[in-house]
Amino acid sequence: MNGGKEKTEGFEPYVLGLVCNWCTYAGADMAGTSRIQYPPNLRLIRVMCTSRLDPTFVIRGLELGADGVLVSGCHPGDCHYVNGNYKTERRIHLLKKLIQQAGLEPERIRLEWISASEGSKLAEVMKDYVEVLKKIGPNPLRNTKGKTHVDDEDLFGKEVK
Amino acid sequence: MAGKAKVAFVQLSSCWGCHQSLLDLHEKLLDVIPLLDIKYWVAAVDFKVGDLKKLPNGGLDAVFIEGLCRTEEDVHLLKLSREKAKALVAFGSCSCFGGVPSIANLFPKSELLERKYLKAETVIDRNTIPSENLPEITNFVPRNDQIVKADAYLPGCPPTSQEIANVVLALLSGKPIEHSIKSVCDECERKKEEKNVKKFQRDFEGKPDPEKCLVNQGYLCMGAGTRAGCGAQCPNANHPCKGCNGPPEGVTDQAAKLIGAFGGIADMEPQKLLEVFRDPAGQLYKFTYASSPLSKLRSVNKGEK
Repeated sequence: MNGGKEKTEGFEPYVLGLVCNWCTYAGADMAGTSRIQYPPNLRLIRVMCTSRLDPTFVIRGLELGADGVLVSGCHPGDCHYVNGNYKTERRIHLLKKLIQQAGLEPERIRLEWISASEGSKLAEVMKDYVEVLKKIGPNPLRNTKGKTHVDDEDLFGKEVK
Repeated sequence: MAGKAKVAFVQLSSCWGCHQSLLDLHEKLLDVIPLLDIKYWVAAVDFKVGDLKKLPNGGLDAVFIEGLCRTEEDVHLLKLSREKAKALVAFGSCSCFGGVPSIANLFPKSELLERKYLKAETVIDRNTIPSENLPEITNFVPRNDQIVKADAYLPGCPPTSQEIANVVLALLSGKPIEHSIKSVCDECERKKEEKNVKKFQRDFEGKPDPEKCLVNQGYLCMGAGTRAGCGAQCPNANHPCKGCNGPPEGVTDQAAKLIGAFGGIADMEPQKLLEVFRDPAGQLYKFTYASSPLSKLRSVNKGEK
């Protein structure tokens, strides 16, 4: 998943984008057709509405080694399904606090509102997000990907802080 | 199964509550006990670890493991039990998901020891962390099935006596153990309505209406993200579900699932919701933090390789 880019030097963050069909996905399309340049670190997954996102998807993305998860949907009041983005906003705020308690940087989850006409905003957001993620470094959960067994070294070896 | 089934009840770090629940079978114990040949049960009889060691490998039909691995001694007992057992049953939420003590995984071990021995208000000698003649503390609390394979799970804090009886009897007859795939809400008899909660309150505030759904009344009931099987005994007794039965089928992260539920029904600003959940990890992972992917952050290999 990390494409061998896991060294801190020249570290290229892997950003998982979970975006809504009606606004941000169309916005990303717009950025593409308008040939706007932005960092290629983003991998998009389209959902019909950001409120379709189960917060477990975000945690799963982090578990599998994504350095950041960008959740993006319609502006407040613009949701195709009336109020889906309000639900997402509440969930993401809680999730950020949750991962902060667990010891991950809350910046690893980012919520944005990008409409279908805002291709340039997507580019700006991605430029900024990649900078932020480069500063905080790779996601430590990358190294435990697929790890299901705990051995004595994990339990009694040198402790990680 | 011909003759009596040889069983052992083993305790790792735990509160012994699951064994209390087993004894709460009362008269039903009379149906269960004659079927069992108990080889090891420190909660009830004065056995020593030597008694367990003496048994041949694979000599026990079932071993019930209660508790979690917080010390070297626990890890040793768990591995020993696995060797002796044909079937290993994770008994209680601690054994299945890490339980309440696994919330300690939110902090590094050094910080925990410091808080307990060097900064605690009730400690007089605040200079030493005891280590002599004591088993070593593990760096973090793993799930038991991350160390050895578990053949069956019996979650609950504690599992209800009825569930224990069902599992014991199923094991004896060789039937597969069936877990409910529904959530606690399915077993709860309260009247559920469209949810649009404008204000949440703590368990001790107000007086809950015994008929209406607790979430409708603004209580943080975890039933929506918790596996059924307990008979919804807490909500039916007018107390919000705490989530002790663990996540429902197919979910690994109970807190994220509950965030999905509460985020969807709360009709309030995100900031206000954050005030309700002042400690989301403690409130939502109360029994299952060791089984969350986030708990892997305490693993040794972090940042190396």
